[in-house]
Amino acid sequence: MRSSFSTVDTTQLLKGVLDLAVLAVLKDEDGYGYDILRRLRTAGLDEVGDASVYGTLRRLFQAGLLTTYVVPSEEGPHRKYYGLNAAGRDQLNRAGKTWRTFASTMDGLLDERGVAA
Amino acid sequence: MNVTTEQEAYLEAVRRALADLDPAVRDELLEDLPEHFAEVAAEGDATLVERLGPPEAYAAELRTAAGLGVVTTPTARGFDDRIAAVVRRARGVVGAADRKTGPLLGYGRASEFLRMLTPAWWVLRGYLAAMAITWMTSNGNEAGLLPRLGGSTLAATLLLAVCLVGSIWLGRREPTLSSTPRTGLAIGGVALVLFGLVVFDKADTYGGGWDQPQSVSGNPYEYIQDVYVYDSNGNPLTDVSLYDQGGNPIQLGDPYRCQEAFYQAQAGAPMYPYCPNQRPYVVAPRAGQVEEPQAEPTEVAPTVDPSETPPPPTTTPTPTPTGTN
Repeated sequence: MRSSFSTVDTTQLLKGVLDLAVLAVLKDEDGYGYDILRRLRTAGLDEVGDASVYGTLRRLFQAGLLTTYVVPSEEGPHRKYYGLNAAGRDQLNRAGKTWRTFASTMDGLLDERGVAA
Repeated sequence: MNVTTEQEAYLEAVRRALADLDPAVRDELLEDLPEHFAEVAAEGDATLVERLGPPEAYAAELRTAAGLGVVTTPTARGFDDRIAAVVRRARGVVGAADRKTGPLLGYGRASEFLRMLTPAWWVLRGYLAAMAITWMTSNGNEAGLLPRLGGSTLAATLLLAVCLVGSIWLGRREPTLSSTPRTGLAIGGVALVLFGLVVFDKADTYGGGWDQPQSVSGNPYEYIQDVYVYDSNGNPLTDVSLYDQGGNPIQLGDPYRCQEAFYQAQAGAPMYPYCPNQRPYVVAPRAGQVEEPQAEPTEVAPTVDPSETPPPPTTTPTPTPTGTN
């Protein structure tokens, strides 16, 4: 039986990097909530929670990193599109660097001790 | 279950779970969700709960991801907390009642049944609004069951039609309104219901009045104070006794009405009139006749036998009101 202390599951990791992931999938193309969710899942983040993505979008918008506009939809409710503004792109670059440094540090740490990739 | 209703119910449950948030913040947070639920519903046959988990968990995840604490206004924390606690407890009680009474109505929850009655409320609200408009423009004089504006049935029909359509339109638009107009609508609704209770109580009292005789008591002879009997010649009779079909003396009027009557008042059949001097008609005097036949005790039956009084056709006296005599 595994102890909950030693378990690092994706959900825990996601909490730290979801902001970065959302900013990243918006880098090339604006998207509405469900579209962004699909991009994250397609990229391999299967465990991301629906509400987490919507909540994150809301928070990033509050923080002034996203622009938003509404596009009428022929069937169903209107779609609110999100896109990166200048502050968002800046944040994406800085947070991306931080993550890469952190990730390579962790990779080195694990490599030194011969932990399997 | 209706797809739209399921999404609305889920959204409503999420909204309830976020009830402690500032309404503006909450509404912004909920803004994207109809789109989300529509997308999820379009993906497959699974219900929203199967696909997204319970609405409360969804709300908690949304709240955490959005970086919102339980209470958004720390300055008002103590008071807000107490209010929130009361609201939570009340919600628990209401929720339990909701689940318990639901099966009695044939539904999982009573609120499911009540939700179906929403359009009926819109219609009632329109009717009450029409009544309120009529009531206010007539200074509270119109209290019927139709909003007769200015007393006209045609105006009533038009006003009713306008108010009903307006109320239904408002009802359908209500979910899209922000929280301030919605609060206004709720307050207006409560006021209309209170107004309706007062006016219908009034209308009900008026309506009940028509069923009863206008006299204050059931006795139609109550106003009678004295009885005057005339024969077929128009001559007043005095000291008359009246009996019913069983031989019982008939007691009418007030035996102590005047001085004479006072002395006559005694046990036994009352003698009418009590006050002969106050009789309403006197016979016009004819030549060779005493002016008035003086009171002689004569016992007669209330109905005078026609054979006893053959009137000479040319000498029929004319009764004349005393006042003009």
